[in-house]
Amino acid sequence: MKKLLGGFTLAIGCIVAGQAFAEYPTKNVDMIVPFSAGGGNDTFVRALQPLVEEQLDTTLVIRNIAGGGGAVGMSRAVASPADGYTLLAASNAMLTLEAMGTVPFTHDDFDFIAKLIEEPYLIAVSSESPYQDIESLVEAAQSGSVRVGASGVGSSAHIAANAIANRTESTFNLIPYPGGSEAMSAAMGGHVEAVVLGGAELRSALESGRLKALATTYAERSDSLPDVPTFQESGYDLTLTVWRGIAGPKGLPDEVKKEWVAAIQQIVEDGSYEQTANNLGTELAPLYGDELEAFIDESAATMREAAGDLAN
Amino acid sequence: MEILNNLALGFSVAFTIENLMYCALGVTIGMLIGVIPGVGHLAAISMLLPLTYYVPATTALVMLAGIYYGAQYGGSTAAILLNLPGTPSSSVVCLDGYPMTKQGRAGVALFMTTIASFVGSLITVVVLAAFAPPLADFAVAFNSADYFSMMLLGLVAAAILVQGNPAKGLAAVVFGLLLGIVGTDVSTGIQRYTFGLTFLYDGLNIVAIAMGIFGVTEVMANVGKVIQVKSDQKITFRSLLPTRSDLKQSIFPMLRGTGIGTGIGILPGTGTSIGSFIAYAVEKKVSKNPEKFGKGAIEGITAPESANNAAAQSAFIPTLTLGIPGDAVMALMLGALLIHGITPGPNVISDNPDLFWGLVISFLIGNVLLLILNIPMVGLWVRLLRIPYPILYPSIILFIVIGVYSINYSDLDIMLVALFGVVGCVFLLLGFEPAPLLLGFILGPMMEENFRRAMLLSRGDLMVFLERPVSAAFFAMIAALIVWSIISAVRKKRVAVTKEF
Repeated sequence: MKKLLGGFTLAIGCIVAGQAFAEYPTKNVDMIVPFSAGGGNDTFVRALQPLVEEQLDTTLVIRNIAGGGGAVGMSRAVASPADGYTLLAASNAMLTLEAMGTVPFTHDDFDFIAKLIEEPYLIAVSSESPYQDIESLVEAAQSGSVRVGASGVGSSAHIAANAIANRTESTFNLIPYPGGSEAMSAAMGGHVEAVVLGGAELRSALESGRLKALATTYAERSDSLPDVPTFQESGYDLTLTVWRGIAGPKGLPDEVKKEWVAAIQQIVEDGSYEQTANNLGTELAPLYGDELEAFIDESAATMREAAGDLAN
Repeated sequence: MEILNNLALGFSVAFTIENLMYCALGVTIGMLIGVIPGVGHLAAISMLLPLTYYVPATTALVMLAGIYYGAQYGGSTAAILLNLPGTPSSSVVCLDGYPMTKQGRAGVALFMTTIASFVGSLITVVVLAAFAPPLADFAVAFNSADYFSMMLLGLVAAAILVQGNPAKGLAAVVFGLLLGIVGTDVSTGIQRYTFGLTFLYDGLNIVAIAMGIFGVTEVMANVGKVIQVKSDQKITFRSLLPTRSDLKQSIFPMLRGTGIGTGIGILPGTGTSIGSFIAYAVEKKVSKNPEKFGKGAIEGITAPESANNAAAQSAFIPTLTLGIPGDAVMALMLGALLIHGITPGPNVISDNPDLFWGLVISFLIGNVLLLILNIPMVGLWVRLLRIPYPILYPSIILFIVIGVYSINYSDLDIMLVALFGVVGCVFLLLGFEPAPLLLGFILGPMMEENFRRAMLLSRGDLMVFLERPVSAAFFAMIAALIVWSIISAVRKKRVAVTKEF
């Protein structure tokens, strides 16, 4: 009996030890995208998927759990076990929800693995608009008021539009659209004077010449849009960026983080993802570890400030 | 001459072995996915998206697009055979398709929907090739006021959908409108009737409602009955073929359906289902025998089927020529192009003629392939009805559960299906119809949103609905429809009165 018990203990000990030293990952990794397929968050992860699968030698299962501006999918991620087999395609949307005070979690409930890409918010007008620079648009918005389309109340683009109005001391007549497509369509048709959206979403419309970007919320002009001035150089103190990366529920094992960071660093070094990111209208801007944590905290504070009077 | 060169270029691109193969693969996957109720093409296309890294952009798009329009063909199969609509637009096909099955004409119904799908797609592909850029301008010119008036017309047309008691029909529409209120209000971001449940933030899942109220109800209503639908009847090839009069009666409905579907498909964010509903309503209104509808009228399946296939093809117009994706599937395809460094927009036709014309020709090939693939399948699908109910019904429920779960990985959606199955049974017992409810549910939120946006844009001036020509035209149609209904009601009464004497 004693021998048997000893055997059991040994066996259990072996299993536990085996698990502790098992190499991550030993099974498929679920990646929650808290938006529907085809959105910015989805495209960036799907572009990354084959590269990560090759690096980690596992299958990445992308799950689109849409709803509530990302709240549904993020809640699901927070509630998942922190074993590295359920991760989240994270973005500003998390900080936006936090700033608006509509969700029970904050960014402190997540462990951030890496930030990969960034894109600016842009304010754009129809190519036939009478306002062909940011000064004339702001002037019109200060005297009369200008109709500005944005996607979704409480979305990060809506908050960005609000922040632009505050910093330029203008009054925007904000017109909420359910998505970027409808807002761009309205701007092209001249039903609204301007739109505020992320750079990736606007990319085709800008490239085709139907819409024209008047200003970017980046601190400096970006390589992909060298002709678009920043709000800073136009004299408005406003810097906002959309970022996208990978996160998991709080308490991810160090090994998981290490594996992922190594994989992403390798992908960045190989260089093929940079071209993809640029094609999608975004820029590669990798960040890891302590620097990343500081960046997220800072970004959360910026979003809180930008949300200002919109917050609940 | 230029058009010939373009078409030649398109043929040379589409007729490479690789592109033909991917086209065939895409439409076959699409067809199979379409047949399984609830399993959407969105999931399939997103899963296959990584493939675009390994093949050229045109090839990738040829396949992904094939899945998308291929799925439109199969979507009506379960609706006709089992009263099980996998998509909101195929719920329209249930109205007359399922009665046809009960009459032993399931084969004819499936045959005719394939023809209708083919006609709708083919005409729209030609329109796409010839007029894509001007049509895109038309889409952009549509304002919120125009959207609202169009939807209002759709809602008035809903009255035509009602088969029985008009008051009960109206009640069903209103119930649908109320269900549509649940979720986050687009204009203010305020939660309505969500009771703090995150899964309700984006509203009730329409696929869950449609499958519950049609499919689950049908299963529950039949559980007590042992009679199998025409199971004794031998399936001959002849019994599957439509008669000459089936074909003749369907020509104009298919053309009208195609026109309606094309027009609505171009508008971003409207989806394929509104076109199906409107096409059905139009047919019932212009028909000399409107009383046939709901009892297996062939026009009742061919018109909406042409409309939803036409809408699926014309949805490519804003995506390719403006870079504005109308729905999630189009957004995925746009993403596939962007990853390859191709930016859709007005210049895509001049900058990437091989992509644009290759894709257009692949649509033609794909649709011909679908026609060839689907016709022989009709016999097979009809044989499904011979599966004994004790096996068939649990399988249907299983498919419904899998399909609904796959949309959002949410077990609550399965509960929703069950709940709407019960609602469907109550409807059946009290003589309410499910189709008007669904139309109210689809149109209600869009109408409200566009009305409020139109008011924001015009600063509260209601005249905007009459000042804009498109909107004014819709209002004129609404007025005509109402006047017409009143006159015909009065006339009917007069005829009835004269007969009494």
